Amino acid sequence: MTKIIDSLETKLVVSFLMLILIISGGTFVFTYSQTKSALKEQMREELMSIAGVAATQIDGDVLSKLIPGDESSAKFIQIRDQLVKIKDSNSHIMYLYTMRKDGSRVEFIVDADYGIKEDAALIGDVYEEDAIELINGFSKISADTEFTTDEWGTVLSGYAPIKDSGGKTVAIIGVDMDSNKVIERQNFIGNTIYYIMGIGILIAAIIIGYFSVTIIKDIKKLNKVANEISTGNTNVQMDVKRDDEIGELAESFGRMAASLKIMMMPSSEKPVEKPKEKPIAKQKKE
Amino acid sequence: MSDYSSKALTIAINYLGPAAGTFLERQTMYHMKGLVFTSLEKKHIPEFAKWVRISAGLIIDPAKAKELSEKIAALDYF
Repeated sequence: MTKIIDSLETKLVVSFLMLILIISGGTFVFTYSQTKSALKEQMREELMSIAGVAATQIDGDVLSKLIPGDESSAKFIQIRDQLVKIKDSNSHIMYLYTMRKDGSRVEFIVDADYGIKEDAALIGDVYEEDAIELINGFSKISADTEFTTDEWGTVLSGYAPIKDSGGKTVAIIGVDMDSNKVIERQNFIGNTIYYIMGIGILIAAIIIGYFSVTIIKDIKKLNKVANEISTGNTNVQMDVKRDDEIGELAESFGRMAASLKIMMMPSSEKPVEKPKEKPIAKQKKE
Repeated sequence: MSDYSSKALTIAINYLGPAAGTFLERQTMYHMKGLVFTSLEKKHIPEFAKWVRISAGLIIDPAKAKELSEKIAALDYF
């Protein structure tokens, strides 16, 4: 009697399950990671698009002349209102601001949240974080490749240069999109893929399990018949009817068992003797 | 071996395996008045098919035995 752990059924089911898990797990990880990258890239494209368009709407000449203390000036408020309008046109934008370089440091100029939120930046507030893409924004439209965490939260940011009338870059516009929305989208897609993969694995496992069990069941029947015949009992029936190779094996097995039965049968039947012809009685002469 | 014997043997091997010849010889020898299987003729086929069905039903699945018998009986039409 084969132990459960050694049985063909166990090996078959375990092997198939491991195969399904490895393939589906690998596919899930690859697909999710590719989807995350694609989603992030899509967000980057959106950010760069928004930043690029917004930068063209800001007057670089006016912006470059703003100095600390000008927060109450009409020109500051005008630019602030422009930023607010841009921000309100897209519900995904969390922060919108302009910055310029001052030597080796980067400082804020106009923050769209000035006068609206208490933690809004003032003209001249230094941005402490080291962001490569922010610096790149002074030369071309760019966007962060990874989420950035600073005192205002965790965001994905896009930047575009703001030029003056002479075509010189005087500042950048920064657009921050709340990371929660990005992560929400990623999680939604991840969960959807997860559920679809889960259902697929379940269905595949059921189908594979069904076929494994039916195949093993018939092999066990063949095994049982072989055991019976090998111990002298030829009075067994082959109860396996399939259209595949196992069915053919069962038929071959059946023929072998029948032949064995025939050879093992005693030739006890005697041949039928031809009846002796009765001699014709002589007719008495009347 | 007669043509009918040869055809019957070919059919029976698919059901009874290599001992099919021995089986068929016994049917003619013990149930058909000592007829030698290799001398099987068309006139013997109906009775021969009957005995094949009865005897084969003791060895293989009765449905298969009937199938074998019907195929042998069909030789009567050749």
